[in-house]
Amino acid sequence: MKREPAPPLRLHLALALLSAALIAFQLEQMQLLALVQWHHFAYLIISVALLGFGAAGTLISLCRTILLRHMEWLLPVLMFACSIAMAMALPLSRKMTSRFDICLLFVEPGQITLLLLSQCIYLLVFFLGALPIGLVFISFSSRINSLYCANLIGSGLGGLSVVAFMYFLLPQQLPALSALLPWTAGILVLSRPRRLSLLAMGVLTLAILTAVLCHPPQLQPSQYKDISRTLDLPDSKIIAKQPSPYGLVQLVTAPALRYAPGLSLTYEGKVPTISGAVFTNGDWFGAVNSGEPSFLHATTAALPYAMGTRDRVLVLQAGTGMDIIQALENGAKEIMAVEPHHKAATIMDELHSTNKHNPLHHPLVQRSFLTSRTWLALHPERYDLITMPTVGSFGGSSGLFALQEQYLLTREALIELWNHLSPDGVLRVSAWLDSPTRNPLRLAATITETLEETGLDAHQHMAAVRGWNMITFIVKRSPLSIDDIEQIRRFCEQLQFDPALLPDLQAQERVHHHTPADSLFFDNLNSLFSPSGRKELYSSYAFNLHPVSDNHPFFSQFLRWQSIPHLIQQFGERTLPFLELGYLIILISFAQITLASILLILLPLLRLGLPGRSGLKGWNIPFFSALALGYMFFEIMLIHKLVLFFGHPIFAAAAGISSLLFFSGLGSLVSGRLLSKRYGHGLAAALVATLLLLYFFILPPLFQLAITLPPLWKILFFLLLIAPPAMAMGMPFPLGLERLANHSKSQAAWAWGINGSVSVMSTGLATIVAVEFGFSTVMLIACAAYGLAALSAAW
Amino acid sequence: MATKKRVTLPKSNSWRFFTCGLRIRVLIITILFCVVHAGVTLPVTRADDSDKFSKKRLQMVQRQIKGRGITDLKVLRAMSTVPRHLFVPDFLKRQAYTDGPLPIGHGQTISQPYIVAYMTEILHIKPEHRVLEIGTGSGYQAAVLAELTDQVYTMEIIPELTDTAAKRLQKTGCTSVTARQGDGYYGWPEAGPFDAIMVTAAAEFIPPPLLQQLKEGGRMIIPVGSPFYVQHLMLVKKEEGKITTRSLMPVRFVPFRRSQ
Repeated sequence: MKREPAPPLRLHLALALLSAALIAFQLEQMQLLALVQWHHFAYLIISVALLGFGAAGTLISLCRTILLRHMEWLLPVLMFACSIAMAMALPLSRKMTSRFDICLLFVEPGQITLLLLSQCIYLLVFFLGALPIGLVFISFSSRINSLYCANLIGSGLGGLSVVAFMYFLLPQQLPALSALLPWTAGILVLSRPRRLSLLAMGVLTLAILTAVLCHPPQLQPSQYKDISRTLDLPDSKIIAKQPSPYGLVQLVTAPALRYAPGLSLTYEGKVPTISGAVFTNGDWFGAVNSGEPSFLHATTAALPYAMGTRDRVLVLQAGTGMDIIQALENGAKEIMAVEPHHKAATIMDELHSTNKHNPLHHPLVQRSFLTSRTWLALHPERYDLITMPTVGSFGGSSGLFALQEQYLLTREALIELWNHLSPDGVLRVSAWLDSPTRNPLRLAATITETLEETGLDAHQHMAAVRGWNMITFIVKRSPLSIDDIEQIRRFCEQLQFDPALLPDLQAQERVHHHTPADSLFFDNLNSLFSPSGRKELYSSYAFNLHPVSDNHPFFSQFLRWQSIPHLIQQFGERTLPFLELGYLIILISFAQITLASILLILLPLLRLGLPGRSGLKGWNIPFFSALALGYMFFEIMLIHKLVLFFGHPIFAAAAGISSLLFFSGLGSLVSGRLLSKRYGHGLAAALVATLLLLYFFILPPLFQLAITLPPLWKILFFLLLIAPPAMAMGMPFPLGLERLANHSKSQAAWAWGINGSVSVMSTGLATIVAVEFGFSTVMLIACAAYGLAALSAAW
Repeated sequence: MATKKRVTLPKSNSWRFFTCGLRIRVLIITILFCVVHAGVTLPVTRADDSDKFSKKRLQMVQRQIKGRGITDLKVLRAMSTVPRHLFVPDFLKRQAYTDGPLPIGHGQTISQPYIVAYMTEILHIKPEHRVLEIGTGSGYQAAVLAELTDQVYTMEIIPELTDTAAKRLQKTGCTSVTARQGDGYYGWPEAGPFDAIMVTAAAEFIPPPLLQQLKEGGRMIIPVGSPFYVQHLMLVKKEEGKITTRSLMPVRFVPFRRSQ
C-alpha cells in the first residue's frame, strides 16, 4: 500500500494545540458548570458532550471520501468553528442553565429539554474539535504514531496548564483563552485554496474571541445554591473572590447571618452574627466568626473539653477555624490545623486589615495545607484531642456527596487517628442527624469495627451525646473512667443533651429531652456492638451501612439497589431522587451515554456492512473498546491513589492525567520502531496487561513506602514508576489503527469513533464499579481489558 | 431592627383609569365591587378560584391529606378553603395541587400540601391562639393558619418574598395575617408570647429569642430538610420550663429494616 507523505510539523503542532484546548475546555467547563449549578450537573453535561469524539468518528466513517477530499480547507474551518463554539458555549447555554436546575429535574418535566439542549451545545464543541483530529489521523494513518503522540502530549499539557491558570484567572475568563488555541491551530493549517475566505473567517473568529475575552459572561449561580440563598439576605454582598483549581472561592458578608451548629436549647445568650461566610463554587465552606464565641461551650462539640483540659489539639479539615476558636477558648496550648484548601482558609484575611481575627494566624496555631490523611502519614506526633469535620449537612445533602471520596472516614483513617492519640487522648466527630438515619449509624459502625479489629472493647472507649439535630461521638484512647462518665452525664444534664452511648447507659436516659423519629435508632446503634447484631443490621437495613475503606472511600453512598422498591413505596418516586441524587445522576448519565454510544457505534455499519461481510475486521470492536476501557479505568484508579500520595486532590488529578498522557505520547512515538506492524498492537496490549497486573500488587506498598519522601523526590519517584506502563499504554492504539487503516480507512475511522465512545462510557462505568466493588476491582478490570485487547488482536 | 410592612395593592398604571371612557369606568367599578363583595362574603369561593381549581383542591384534600391520616376537621377545612393556586407563580398554577413542593423563587418552595396540613395539625391551634410564622415564603402556610385563628404573625427576611406574599394574602382576603419583613432570629417580641411558632425557614440552631417567646405549654414546629424534601419535622415543646423535642417523620413510616 502506498505510504502517505509525512505530515508537516505545523500539523503536529496544530493537533497538539487543539488537543490541549479540548482538555482545558473540559476541565474549565466542569468548574464553571459546577459553579452555576452543582458538579453533578457539570458531569451530566460534559460526560455526555464528550461523545462528540464518538460522533466525529461515526461521521468520518460514513462520509470519509467527501471529508478527506476537502480536508485541506475543512481543517482550518473546523478549528475556527471549534474556537467560536468554545468561547460561546457558556453564553449560549447560560440562558438555559440559569432556568435549569438539577433539583427541578424530578419536579418539572420541561427541565429535561433544557438539559438536553445544554448537552447538545457542549457536544457540538467536542464534535467540532474531534472532527479535525479524526480526519488527520485517518488521512495520515501510516504516520499515526507521531500524530497520536502530538495529540496525547498536547492533551497532557492542556490539562496541566489549565490547572495552573485556574490559580489566577476567574473561571469565566478561561474558555475564551482556551479558544485561542484552536484558532492558532487553524492559522497554522491555513490552506492555499480558499486562503482569502479562510483568512476572513480567522479574523472574524479572532474578533469574537476578543469580544468574549473583554466581556466574559456573568455567572448566575442556581437559586438553590448556598451562596444565592445567602446573597438573598438583606445587605449581603460578595467582598472578595479568588480563583482556585478547587473552585471559585468567595467571601460574603451578610449582617443577618448566624452560625451555631449543635447549639443547646438551654442556651439563652446571644448568638453573634458571623462576620463572613466562605463559599467554594457557591457551596458553603465555612463561617468566619469574629464575635463572642461563648455559645461554643453550649454545643455537642464541646463534650471533650467538658471531660478535661486538652493541651495539644489537632484540627483536621480546619475550614474557617471554628474548631480552632473552640480549642483556644478552652485553653489549648498548642493547635495544629490541617486544611488542604489554602485559598478558602485564607480568604477571610480580606475581612480585616490585620490577621488577628483569622484563627489560622493565632500564635498558638500551626498550620498545614495538606490533606488530613497525608499529614497524618507524615507526622507521628500525638494529641490530646483530634477533631474531625462534621459528617453530613443540616437538612441532608440529598445524596449529593455520594461519590465524594472521603479518606478521613475510612477504617484505615480511623486506625491512623487512633495512633495519633495521646494515652488519654480523645477523637471527636459529630454528625448531623438525618432521616432515614444513615450517617450516624455508618459512623458508629466504622468506629466499633475499627476498635474491635485492634482488639478493644468498643463500648469501653466510646461515648456519644445527642442534641435536637446533631450527634457527637468521642473515642477515648484509654477506657472511659467513672469520672469521665460522670462528667459526660453532667454535661448532658446542664445543656439538655441526651447521652446516646455510654458504658452503663439506661434506655430511658437516651430520650430524656430529644425523641428521635426512628423508633429503632437505639436498637440499631446497639446492634453495632456485637458481630452478629452488626451482620444482621447490615443485611436487613434499607441502606448500606458497611464501614468504608481506602479501597472504597464513598462514605456518603448509602443506596442499595434491592431497597429501591421499598424506598419508593415509603417515600414515593418523586421523593426518592432527593434521598440519593448523586449516584442517580451518574446512573442517568451512564444510561444516556451507553444508548448514544451504541447508536454511534452501530450507525457506520449501514455503510460498512455487517462483520464477516465487506471485509469488516471482527477484532475491531473488542480491541478498540477494550483499549478505551482499560486506559480510562487505569487513569481513574491512578488519580484515586495519587490523592493520598500527593495530598492535594487537584495536583493528584493534574499529575496523574498529564503524566499518563505525556508518557503514552512518547510510547506512541516509539511504538512503530519497537514493535512490528503486523503483531505489534497485540503484543503491546499484552505487555500493558502484564505490567498492570504487576502494578496491581506493587503499587500500594510502593506508594506507602514513598509517601514520606520530600516533595521533589516524591514527584521523581512517581514519574519513574508511572513511565513504563504509561509508555506501553500509548502503543497499542496507533499500531492497531495503522494496521486497520492499511486495510480500510473507513473502518479505521469507525474504530477511532468506537474508542472515543467507549472512553466516555468508561469514566461513568469506572465510577460505578468503584462505588460497588472498590478501586482494586477497577484496576483488575483495566488489566483484564488489555488482556482482552491482546486476545482480540490475535483473532 | 425589622420594619413593619403595610400590605398594599400595586399602583402601576393607575393613571389609565382616568383616561378611559365613562362607560368603561362604570363597568370597572361594577366588576371591582363584585370582586370585593365576593371576597368578603364568600371565603370559600375566592378571587380567581374557578370550579376547576376548587375541584382539584378537594381532590388534594381527599387523596393527599385525608388519605394520609390527617383527621383534624379544622385543618381539613382550612386546606379545602385556601386557594393554593393563587400562592404559586403563574406558570405553575396548573401544578398547584400536585402532591409535591413547587419552586417560588429565591431558592424557596411552597411546601407539599400534606406537609402544610401535617405541620398545622401538629400545632393544635385553637381560635384564641396567637401564632408566629418565621419564613413567610409564598404566604400559603400563613393563609392556612389564618383559617384557624385570627392572630397570625408572619415574618420573612427576603424583602421581595415579603412583598409578593403580602399581595397574595390581600388578594385572597387573608386580612387577619400581619406580615412584616425582618430577621426571624429576633422573633416578634411585641406580639409575643405565642402559643405556637412555625419556623419554616430552618437554621442549624433554634434562635434563643424564639424559645423565649414561646408560651408555657406552647409548641414549635420546624421542618428539617432541603427545599424539595422534608426529612423530618421537629416538634419543640415547652412544659414547666423544660424544653423537649420530638422528631417526626412526614411520611407514614415503617422502620428501615428490609426484613420487616
